[in-house]
Amino acid sequence: MLSIEHLTKTFGTVKAVDDLSLHIAPGEIYGFIGHNGAGKTTTLRSVVGIQQFDQGEIRVGGISVREDPLAVKKILAYIPDNPDLYEYMTGIKYLNFVADIFGVSKADREARIHEYAGRFELTGALAQPIASYSHGMKQKLAIVSAWLHDPKLIVMDEPFVGLDPKASHLVREMMREVCDNGGAIFFSTHVLEVAEKLCDKVAIIKQGRLIRSGTMEEVKGDDSLEEVFLELEAE
Amino acid sequence: MLKVLLKKQMQEVFRSYYYNAKTNTARSRVGTLGGMLFFAFLMVGVLGGTFFMTAGEICGPLVDLGVGWLYFTLMGMLAIFLGTFGGAFSTFSSLYLAKDNDLLLSMPIPVGVILASRILNVFFLGLMYAGVVYVPALLVYWIKARPGIGVILCGLIMLLLIALVVLVLSCLLGWVVAKISLKLKNKGLATAVISIAGIGLYYFLYFRAQMLLNKLVNNAMIYAEQIKGAAKGLYWLGHAPEGDLVSLLIVAAVVAVLLALTWMLLKRTFIGISTATGAVATKVYHEKPMQQKSVSRALLGREIQRFLGSPTYLLNCGLGILLLPVLGIFVLIKSEDFLYMLGGLLGANTVPVILLAIVGMLVATDAITAPSVSLEGKTLWLIRSLPVRTWDVLKSKLNMALLMNGVPMLVAAVLCAVGMKASLTVSILFVVASLLLTVLFALWGLMLGLKMPNLNWTSETAPIKQGGSAFFGMFGCWLYVIAFIGLYLWKGRTLQVEIVLGAYILLSAILSLLLYLWIRGKGVRNFESL
Repeated sequence: MLSIEHLTKTFGTVKAVDDLSLHIAPGEIYGFIGHNGAGKTTTLRSVVGIQQFDQGEIRVGGISVREDPLAVKKILAYIPDNPDLYEYMTGIKYLNFVADIFGVSKADREARIHEYAGRFELTGALAQPIASYSHGMKQKLAIVSAWLHDPKLIVMDEPFVGLDPKASHLVREMMREVCDNGGAIFFSTHVLEVAEKLCDKVAIIKQGRLIRSGTMEEVKGDDSLEEVFLELEAE
Repeated sequence: MLKVLLKKQMQEVFRSYYYNAKTNTARSRVGTLGGMLFFAFLMVGVLGGTFFMTAGEICGPLVDLGVGWLYFTLMGMLAIFLGTFGGAFSTFSSLYLAKDNDLLLSMPIPVGVILASRILNVFFLGLMYAGVVYVPALLVYWIKARPGIGVILCGLIMLLLIALVVLVLSCLLGWVVAKISLKLKNKGLATAVISIAGIGLYYFLYFRAQMLLNKLVNNAMIYAEQIKGAAKGLYWLGHAPEGDLVSLLIVAAVVAVLLALTWMLLKRTFIGISTATGAVATKVYHEKPMQQKSVSRALLGREIQRFLGSPTYLLNCGLGILLLPVLGIFVLIKSEDFLYMLGGLLGANTVPVILLAIVGMLVATDAITAPSVSLEGKTLWLIRSLPVRTWDVLKSKLNMALLMNGVPMLVAAVLCAVGMKASLTVSILFVVASLLLTVLFALWGLMLGLKMPNLNWTSETAPIKQGGSAFFGMFGCWLYVIAFIGLYLWKGRTLQVEIVLGAYILLSAILSLLLYLWIRGKGVRNFESL
């Protein structure tokens, strides 16, 4: 589903991502962990085509991000670490805008908005301007909009920040549903307990370089993910 | 504390001179200096020069008649007019809508200090605009009257006092707009309409006063004594910069009282307004059938919602939408008087060219595309992550500007063409030239927006009003119109109007094509690299 080969991105003299390679198969939830500034967001932004990179190749569903970014964007969805949405729109106008861009049919959008907004108990607030939403409500709206076009790959940067426990649980369920239907999830998080329970595979990035990756068992062995992460960070 | 906050405010205002958002790097010293010098040239050389000439025409006769104070009254009121015009539209958002209000209020900073830093920002903006009129007025007077150091000091103090009057007016207007907007549902559009109505009333009264003053100039000696008796305030306003200490003290005292009252009002209400979520009842969404739109319509809808949803954007970049049809109706109704006056002044054959310049100046005030790239701000990730071509995004910005300005321009151009009773050929050329100016200015603004983006702002006033693209967007278009009319009046009056209009159409078309090609190529790449 997602193939990253030798990705390198430099800002000035700082290598934000250094020769990073990883692969995500359909049906996998792939966790991406690392300290602040390790290069997680740069990698995620490169995958979704909003960050130009210096070297390497990224393919989503076999399509090169560099060669055909539009085709890639059509089959993925992205949720950034901070849900800065169009505050001048109401929630429903925003969802309709996203659905229009992805060409979601009238029937599909009605059904999906009904389902996902309903699950997050957001339906009643959709007539309100996004400017009046709390951080958590914006995050929920961003998640609903990401699910609208039935993406094959969902890239999420810290998706649980700002969500209440119920919504957080719901997001984890929805992530699993995507993978059960043949999709894939690539997300970054600092909540290692969640990553340990939720992810099929995990990658740890430090100073732009991938220092460990694989199935959860391969990465953590008999220890907890937190112990492994802290140990690797200390090296 | 105040110094730190003010430094932050100034860094934001002048950010585009020091920082290149496109390359994410600091500008070189040469680049910074070049940008500042160009800005200074436009403010001092172009605008200041224009007012220097205006002042030069009226200063001599009035000083010779012994009513120099009347000269200062006129120029003082003009400075207040321009200063308030420059600051009024942005005061509301500068004071109350800054994104860092919550952050600053959560810090151990006295509210008065936060408010003072915001107000000082408004003050400097007002001082800049008022100074563009008043400094040339002072210079002309000093050259003419050759006064001593005392009079010069009085003049400089008056400059500050006039800037404070502008500040008081701007702040009060911002406060009224804020109070009203808290009660409204569709805040963007309603705030804009109320503001325009309020400002319209203000300027209606102002122009009535100006007409009265014009009469006074023409009959200076007859009325001067009457003003001294009946309108003492105007007399003191004009007499103080002549070196009259009593007048200066009275003006200073009045300004100090007004400022203190305004300060108390703003300080008492600042937290309440800046942290209010509004008293509008929550509207509950009920599911209903939806419509599917094409990508281009969705993108255009997004731009229109952005424009109509922001009073700051509407007021600063949409005034021409209202004024263009007003001008058209005015020309149609008052065609006999108005066109006779224009023809009498500059020759009957010049009327279509002069009118074209007027509609051009008006549409230039609507620099809608200039801040449109910067206004993406922190939401840029969204449009960049969606499967849309960059050119389609940029085209939607152009289309919105053409829709907003094109329709009023068409109405204005047709009404003007009918009103001026020119031949069919001239009328058609006039309408085409007017519409082409709309296209050219929209392209010019977008090009500047792509060249000088500022995505990291805390108040949308920064990209809309203080950004380089917005500034050059409007003044660049004005220069294009002024250069055209200046060249025509200087060298082209003997040419046939059809030839002049045709040449202007050709030039505008060529420039539009060049800008279009740049935006489709380099512009698209610039946007993608943001």
